[in-house]
Formats: sequence, C-alpha cells, structure tokens
Amino acid sequence: MRKAPLLLILPAALVLLAFLVVPYLNIVLMSLRVPGSGVPYAPGWTLGNYAKFFSDRFYLEQLANTLWIGVATTLACLLVGYPVAVQLARGTGAMRGLRYGIVLAPLLVGIVIRSYGWTILLGNNGVINRTLLGWGLIEGPLPLMYNGLGIIIALTHVLLPFMILPIMGAVQGIDPQLELAARSLGAGRNTAFRRVVLPMSLPGVQSGCTLVFILAISAYVTPALIGGLRVKTAAVSVVDALIDGFQWPFGSAMALILAVVGGLCVVGFQRATRIGWAVRR
Amino acid sequence: MRRVVFSTYCWVVYAFLLAPIAVVMLASFNAGAFLTFPPQGLSLRWYWVFFENEVFWRAIRTSLWVATVATAISGVIGTAAAIFQVRYARRTREAVRIAMLAPLLLPEVLTAIALLFFVYGLGIGTRGMLGLIAGHVLITLPFVFMNVAASLESFDADWDLAARSLGAGRMARFRRIMLPMIKPGVIGGCLFAFIISFDTFTMSFLLKSVGTSTLPIQLYDYLRTNFTPEAAAVSSFSVLLSLVVVVVTEKVLGLNIRRF
Amino acid sequence: MTEVALRNLTKRFGSIAAVDGASLSIGHGEFVSLLGPSGCGKTTTLKLIAGFEQADGGEILFDGQDVAGLPAERRDIGLVFQNYALFPHMTVAGNLAFGLEMRKRPKVEITRKVAEVLEMVQLQGLGGRYPRELSGGQQQRVALARALVIEPRILLLDEPLANLDARLRDEMRLFIRNLQRRVGITTIYVTHDQAEALTMSDRVVVMFGGRVAQVGEPEDIYDRPASRAVAEFVGRVNVIAAEVTAATAEGCRVSCPLGEFTLPRPGRPGERIELALRPEAVVLSAGGPAVIEEAAYSGGLIDYRVRLGETVIDVQGFPAPRFSVGDAVSFDVPWARLWPLG
Repeated sequence: MRKAPLLLILPAALVLLAFLVVPYLNIVLMSLRVPGSGVPYAPGWTLGNYAKFFSDRFYLEQLANTLWIGVATTLACLLVGYPVAVQLARGTGAMRGLRYGIVLAPLLVGIVIRSYGWTILLGNNGVINRTLLGWGLIEGPLPLMYNGLGIIIALTHVLLPFMILPIMGAVQGIDPQLELAARSLGAGRNTAFRRVVLPMSLPGVQSGCTLVFILAISAYVTPALIGGLRVKTAAVSVVDALIDGFQWPFGSAMALILAVVGGLCVVGFQRATRIGWAVRR
Repeated sequence: MRRVVFSTYCWVVYAFLLAPIAVVMLASFNAGAFLTFPPQGLSLRWYWVFFENEVFWRAIRTSLWVATVATAISGVIGTAAAIFQVRYARRTREAVRIAMLAPLLLPEVLTAIALLFFVYGLGIGTRGMLGLIAGHVLITLPFVFMNVAASLESFDADWDLAARSLGAGRMARFRRIMLPMIKPGVIGGCLFAFIISFDTFTMSFLLKSVGTSTLPIQLYDYLRTNFTPEAAAVSSFSVLLSLVVVVVTEKVLGLNIRRF
Repeated sequence: MTEVALRNLTKRFGSIAAVDGASLSIGHGEFVSLLGPSGCGKTTTLKLIAGFEQADGGEILFDGQDVAGLPAERRDIGLVFQNYALFPHMTVAGNLAFGLEMRKRPKVEITRKVAEVLEMVQLQGLGGRYPRELSGGQQQRVALARALVIEPRILLLDEPLANLDARLRDEMRLFIRNLQRRVGITTIYVTHDQAEALTMSDRVVVMFGGRVAQVGEPEDIYDRPASRAVAEFVGRVNVIAAEVTAATAEGCRVSCPLGEFTLPRPGRPGERIELALRPEAVVLSAGGPAVIEEAAYSGGLIDYRVRLGETVIDVQGFPAPRFSVGDAVSFDVPWARLWPLG
C-alpha cells in the first residue's frame, strides 16, 4: 500500500537521472579531458582547459560582458515588467484574459521567430530607425543591432514573461484586506501600496530576477541572431567551440565556468536580498 | 492622472511584447522581394513560395512529430510526478519540486550539450531520435509538472476520504475523482509542452541528426542566408498553427480555467 | 443495525497518544455523541472507526467482528464531513449515485434510490444541480443523503454542523435526529458543542486527552458529572469546596461555604470534596446577605454573579424578578442539586 505512490515518481526520477544528472556529471568529466585534433577529445586528463580560459583576456572579457548583459536585462525586465505584473494580478474582467494572453504569447511563438522580428525592428534600416528618422527625431540611424544594446532589448522582450509571472503570482497571494487595513489606518493609496504590497511582492521579485538572469546569461538564439558575428556572448562561444570547432573539452570547461559563475551570482543575490528581508521583518 | 499614466504604460509594454510578432506577420505580406518594412505593397506571393517549398514542410512534419512524442511522454511522467509531489511526498516535497523544475532552471544550452556527449558516449551519436526526444522531454517536463501540480493544489483530501468511505478502491478513486480534477491542469500542461517543444531551437539544433530539421532550425538557417520574406511567411504560419492548436484543444477537450 | 465496540483503542502520533485506551459499546440504532474539546481524540477515534487510520493498540468490532484488517472502502460505513466533501465535478445525483456505483448496483435501482433519498432530505428536483449552486444547508443535506443512500452499517458524522449559522444549525440538528430515528441506523456523532450532544444523543461520550471520561445519557452527564472536567465542559457550573464533617446513617455530613447538609453518599470525616452546582438550580429572592456583583441580560435568561461572603457563584435566573448590580439577595441552597465530583 505504501509502495504504489513511489511508482508515480519512478519514471520521472529515471528520466532525470539518466538524461540530466549523468550527462551533467559527464560534462564535468569532459572538461577535464585533453583536447584532440580531428577527434572530439584525446585520452588523458588535464586542467589545461580551465587554464586556457582564465589566462585568455578575450574569454574573461566575454564572460564579464555576458554577465553584464544578464544584469542589464534583469533590471530592464524588472522595471518594465513590475507594473504590468501588478496590473495583471489585480485586474478583473474580460480584459484580464486578453492581457494574460498577451503576456504568454511571446512564450508560445518561438524564440527564432521572436528574435527574427527583432532583427527587422532593430537594424539600421529597420522599423525603429526608419520611423524615428521619418519623424525627424534623430539624424542618423541608432546602432541597435550587432551590439550589446540590441541583445539586451531583444532579451528583455524574450524574458519579460518570466519576470511578470512570478511577481504576478506573489501579488495575487497578498490578501487584499491588508491594503484596506492600511488605508483605514490613514495611508493614502500610493503609501499603502508602497508600504504593504511592494514589500510583500519581493519574494516574487527575487524569483523573477533569478530566473531572468540565469536565462539571460545562457541564452543562445537571441544573442546569436542579434549580435551576429560582431558580438558574441559566452553561450554563443560555447556552441561555436563545440559544433564548429569540435573542441569538446574546452567548450565544456567554458560552459561549466559560465554556469558556476552564474550560479555564484545568483547565490550572492539571494543571500543579499534575504538579509534585507530578515532585517525588515 | 496616475491611473492614466499607469494604464498607458502598461499598454506600451503590451505593444512591446507583441511588436516583433506583429512585425514578422506583417512583413510576410510584403509584395517586394526584400525584407523591408513597411512592406512595399501587400501580397500573398511569399505564402505560395513557402507552400511549394518541400524543405519547410518536411521541417514542420518533423517538428509536429517530435512535439507529439515528447508531449505524450512528458504528459504521463509529469502528471505522475505532480500527483506524487502534491499528494504523497512528505519530506521529499521540496526536493521533488526542484528536481522537476531543474531542466527549466538549468541553461538549455548546457543540457543540450550534456545530452550530446551522452548519446555519443552511448555510441549512437545523433543518429536516430533518442537524443532529440530525450532533450525535448526534459524541457517540456517542468511545464507539465507545474500545471498539474497547480491544479492539484485545490484538491481537497476529503474528497478522497469521502470516496473511500463510499466504497471506492484506489483505481476507482483515481479514475472518478482524481483524473477529472486534474484534467484542466494536464491538458494545459500538455498544451504548453507541445508548443514549447514545437518552438524550441537550441535543443533541436544540437541534437538533431544530419538531414533532419525542425521548423525553428530551418527558419534560423534561412534567416542567416536568405533575405526574402519567405521566412516571414513561414513564421506567420507557425504562429497561426500554434494558435489553432490552442483553440482546438480548448474547444474539444475543454481547458476550462474556471475554478469549481 | 450494527453494534460497534471499541476495546482499549490506542493511537499514537509520534510520542503523543491521540487516543489512549478508549473503550466503548454502542448498540443497535443508537445515536451516540463523542463530545470533547479540540484535541481530545474524538475525531481520531472516528477516523479509526472509519478505517482512515490504523490503531496502534486495541480493537474495533462491528457486530463482534474485528475490522482492523478491513480497509475503509470495505467497512460499509457512511461518512458525513464537516466541509461536506461533495465532489464538485459531479451533479447532486452523481454524488449520490457514486456509492451505489461502487457497489455495482444496477442502473434502475440507482436511479430509484437516488430519487428516494432526495425526497428523504427534502431536496427533490435538485438532482441536476452542481454542489456549488447549492446553499450550505442544502449541501449538508446532500452530504447526509450520500452517506445514507448506500444503507451503510453505521453512520459517522464529523462535526457536520460546524460551518452553518446558528439558526440553520438548530434546524439541522432536529432534521438529522429525526432522520436517524426513521432510518434506525447506528450513529456516531463527533462534536465539541455540548448543546448539540445533549439535544441529539441517546448517550454521550465525553472525552479528554484521548480517554473516555464519562459515558451516559444526556441527563446523567449534565446532572451527575463524573469529574470536575466533565462538569465544567458540559454547561456552566459552580464548583464549591467542601469537607466531610461526620459519617451518618444516610451518608455523611458535609460542610461548605453555603452551609451544612447531608450527602446521601458515604464519606470519611476530614475528607475534602468538591461539589457541583448548576447556575440555574439557584433561585434568588430579594433582600439578604448576598450581593449581586454582575448581571448580564441574555434574552430569555439573566446571568448573575452573586457574592456570599468569600464565595462567589454564578446564578442563572428568569427576567422576573429582575435584580441589578449591588442589590442584596438571598437564596435557598438546593441541597439535592449539589453533586459531589470525582
């Protein structure tokens, strides 16, 4: 009678173990192998791949750049997405379904199509520049493609739903009576929001930021299409090394470094924001 | 005043969210030969070109097939895992949740690479569909799990006790009480899973076998070399396809987001 | 008609014994209440009888047969939950039919029985509705009907009226009791509301800390409580300290702050005892050595707090004669109503 429930989790456990855990462990192994020429790797073990990464300024700068893009995207998503998340959480009626659909729509459309759309919008001859030029607001085209700015804009678009949904969830979980209580005690509408809703939405903000940051630094398609050959993020470099360069050990080392550094940033962020919470309580 | 500013701001954001999609769909009607915006005249010619293009159709068929298989597998596994986590797991509850969401939190690129090495290590490489299907199952699993788990949150344990008191054994309880309750969650989750699988690029890119191609990959290839609006036409078609799948599923199987 | 017997029933959660050696016998068609504060073990006892929990010790017998090995779904019980637990995705008729479907009854029979039971609970015509479309009281009646339509051996109710407002609760009490009498099914009713237990039951089982403190008819429990805890839980009571002064032929002589009297029960001189006195047993008259300290009007009755020297007692009286705070009053002590506790 006790055994039956375990059967429920068994398939998932097996799948995750076989196709996630073991392969990930394998990456770690792979990163320690000796690079081969003509073959993915040669026999033997070495730490040389990591040494190569940390001694090359190019890679370090690229990593830093990628992290910066991640941070910028996260901030942008937060600023843009927070009001929308609140509106969605509080809204009622028919419009709500529509708004919810619009927020989810990018997720359902596919990354390639979305990134493609941004290439149309951001190019020197793209929609944005032609519109602004046409209205006489600028004199020359703004460089929005093939650089970090374009990547940030496009990534913000792609990852916005991942910021909006957790915050929306957190705000929905706040008892509406709390705000009414604050107002009955004399707080104006904005003050009530600032002192009651805002602090209580922070766990959602924390989740959203974490999710967006991780997804931003490991994004591939969007930076590849927007950045082109001129600007490559770390993830793009990794895929290049693996698919085009066949450098499995080095590519693995790069990928792991990216993941670990990203993970450390997240842990640091969570620590920092948790301390703030504890003090406030 | 504040309300107006707030409202306008939100609508700007919604426009921002829809802009690239709208732009692509509009560009597909371009009568000219180049991907310019605004379009030089409206025409359906690029749709005709696309309909004749066997390469894209093959890619669509492959994508549909992979998505269906992956969704079927994740649907079963994810639902079972969600039932376990919500109803049975005690001390392992959080751990199960994190494990099931792991493929979402880990970079897709990394997971794809890991699987790539794995299938090569097994000796089969990217021949056959094992790696590809496994990858798609991994990335769709969290969505099924989250949706079903969410719909189970409102499951009252007393319903199960009531059914037991009325004489229902485990199978009967599962069929008559649990399954109807989680139906919206399962359908929603599978829908999400299907579309995510259909649209995913990175996983397919790294794990596909030579000669096969999913739609996103085909589009990506085209975008790098081809500058006609044909790709825009294909993209619009893909968006429409996703929409149709959602609407049809809702009508036929009943998504029913309404709470009891 | 089933007899239920509990023998030394024990159930532990961790180191805490939720039910600690409870023993009880319930006869054919009897309506028995398990009464006690939260945490006293009454709900756990019910769950053990239903089969949702396994006992750590003791036995549960239905008609003399140990049901320990029998899973809940085969004990042939009818259960009514506090929050009704109606299946939201089925209509009322669907809910009612469920138990019969589990018993593989033919469709014709199911339809007939569902119609019959709907009439029995006065909900005829509502078979096609969904639970969410019904009021609380109606849902409660559907829950009751669902438990009864399968004609179970025993009926178990877990604080079914707790979620209803006061007026509805009174109506439903009568309704459930009359229904039970008509059907004649052995019934176990869990509640923390002593008024409910006293008005509805053939016998009341008072429980504290997982143990049975007293079993008896409602009047027994009320007028002759076995212990101070029972006396204080069931209704309001004054507990008066007293001492036995001498043994007599009829019993013993007892001295308390209210005076001296003869208790028809043996006692040793010097023995300290406690006496229970119900507030409504005292009748006040104007003028005298006692003083009204508090007076609270509660509709049909007035609750007084009366001080006589060092002793303060609660008294309940009718609106006439009416006394106010500060009035001097006296009363004849109703010696016969003083009940020794413990």
